[in-house]
Amino acid sequence: MAENKTQKHPISPDRQPDEMRDAFGKTLVDLGREFPSIVVLDADLNTSSKIVYFKKAFPDRFFQIGIAEQNLFGMAAGLALTGYIPFPSTFAAFVARRAADQIAISIAYPNLNVKIPGSYVGLPTSRAGASHNAIEDIAVMRALPNMKVADPGDNRDLAAIMRTAVNTPGPVYFRITRITLPDMFEAGHQFEWGKGVIVRSGSDVTLFGTGMMTSLCLRAADLLAQESISAEVVHLASIKPIDGDLITDSISRTGCGVTAENASVIGGFGDAVSQVVCSTFPAPLKRIGVQDKWVNSGGIDDLFTQHHMQPADIAEAAKNVIRQRKPFQIVAP
Amino acid sequence: MNPKLSSDDLLNLEEMAYQIRRLSVEMICYGQWGHIGGSFSMAEILSVLYFQALSIDPKRPKWENRDRLVLSKAHGSPALYATLALKGFIAIDDLYTYCEPGGLEGHTDMTHTPGLETSGGPLGMGLSVAAGMALGLKLRENARARVFCLMGDGEIQEGNVWEAAMSAAHYHLDNLIGILDYNKVMAKGRVSDLMQIEPVAEKWQAFGWEVIEIDGHDIEEIAQAIYEARWIRPHGSPIIIIAHTVKGRGVERAEFNYQWHTHAPDPQTADQMLKELAITYKRPVQGYSRINEPVKKETFYGGE
Repeated sequence: MAENKTQKHPISPDRQPDEMRDAFGKTLVDLGREFPSIVVLDADLNTSSKIVYFKKAFPDRFFQIGIAEQNLFGMAAGLALTGYIPFPSTFAAFVARRAADQIAISIAYPNLNVKIPGSYVGLPTSRAGASHNAIEDIAVMRALPNMKVADPGDNRDLAAIMRTAVNTPGPVYFRITRITLPDMFEAGHQFEWGKGVIVRSGSDVTLFGTGMMTSLCLRAADLLAQESISAEVVHLASIKPIDGDLITDSISRTGCGVTAENASVIGGFGDAVSQVVCSTFPAPLKRIGVQDKWVNSGGIDDLFTQHHMQPADIAEAAKNVIRQRKPFQIVAP
Repeated sequence: MNPKLSSDDLLNLEEMAYQIRRLSVEMICYGQWGHIGGSFSMAEILSVLYFQALSIDPKRPKWENRDRLVLSKAHGSPALYATLALKGFIAIDDLYTYCEPGGLEGHTDMTHTPGLETSGGPLGMGLSVAAGMALGLKLRENARARVFCLMGDGEIQEGNVWEAAMSAAHYHLDNLIGILDYNKVMAKGRVSDLMQIEPVAEKWQAFGWEVIEIDGHDIEEIAQAIYEARWIRPHGSPIIIIAHTVKGRGVERAEFNYQWHTHAPDPQTADQMLKELAITYKRPVQGYSRINEPVKKETFYGGE
């Protein structure tokens, strides 16, 4: 996998300007220039999360809160209440685990205008191990009323999500993958809450991807094509609200689907898609993601293999659901 | 801005503290849920804040230059709702919707009630939000507005409080005034028995705060402390007023009694409490005003 290059420079990740976290840091500066009310709060991770760019550009609007994530989100709530648009930034694992209560009651419950980036999501983080690999953040954040949740598929998607988030009143949680992702969208790409996009048309099975997994779904679709299976790939960056119409439209044409998320399948994106499919067009659906396991230290490629989240795993799941599909015939050779 | 209260002021503030207690009993009885002990212990503090100290306008609850009160001990909501009603943010009749569907929320919900600055319930969170507000006001160079954060004593067992305390001192938030309702009792017993928080003043000092200690039921002392915190003490550090209070102050059976931390009186008990309050505060004896109205639920709540 292309992500391997993160492992080459574990000490100086700055050498990789195209990582999504870099795009995040730069987009934040762009938005900061445009929106003077944006303030950024850090919990001692600014060079990892890349909010260091904002710190350098707008030192008066950057606040170091120290290693105190509960206070990080509480103070963000207070800043929102005085008219600012705060971006309290830390690793996703600390967002959804350490500060879940503060985010729920101080931010989501009163519907405050706080934009929460979750850095280092899922498997491709560093080699820090299970304590730092956020796999439950989608489930936790989407369970909170008022909270919107998004997982971008590439850097342009991320920038579009951030812009839309700033223009949308209320709390938003969005995920930032640490690694470089292949470009999926053209310049000028727009993001809208509750709108997915078909990134590859097909007729035999739908691969529903969110975040970085959509690009793996595209690679799975290539593998399936070699076996004359036509896979549709639907990218759903907006996990909440989710594009129920598009999900139903696609699966009613293909008759079966696979979901793929860079997170635990419990309560996450796959469950969100399942909720739509179960109520509108019940059909076989398999969920690719972390299957109730902790994600320990390891090389990125190895971790994707270990957790059965490689393109080949997605393709295999697709063939399984095609076999389960009724009343259609199996398309595979 | 003179902290010296006239005798009329004093009478008015005492009256408001009495009314806060009276209405709290009625709300908690009517809603069949609520915290009498923690509402009573901060009645004088709320009276002085809302009827003497805070720069607020019920007609403009979102006025930009207003002072803000964050009720971190959000279970004290009956006393705060009563105060907001007496001040004119909400109607007195609204109080009788406490804990009913569509009515006043059990713990605070700022989206639902004008005059509430935050939503709360889980303890230990309010000071962070208040510190964020104080920082935001400083950024706006709004020099006059102050942020007050009313905390419970057991609440400071939460680590989040000390994260907030540390950052408030770090950012020199001298527009932030904490008030500790030190009523000595938490939900299931005395604070000193369950988890000692002493030495309290020294803890706040060590975290870089100015400390003022007062009798939290003495209206003149409260007014003086708030005046000092607002006008004399601020020179780069946040200020905490440690208000020594009595949990359940005003009704003998509830004083220092953890069993009245969360407990809704039945109408007969509420009636006795209201009579006792009236005698203590030398007011005309009134019974529970809604005693003759049909009770909505079959049993009265006596637990958490």
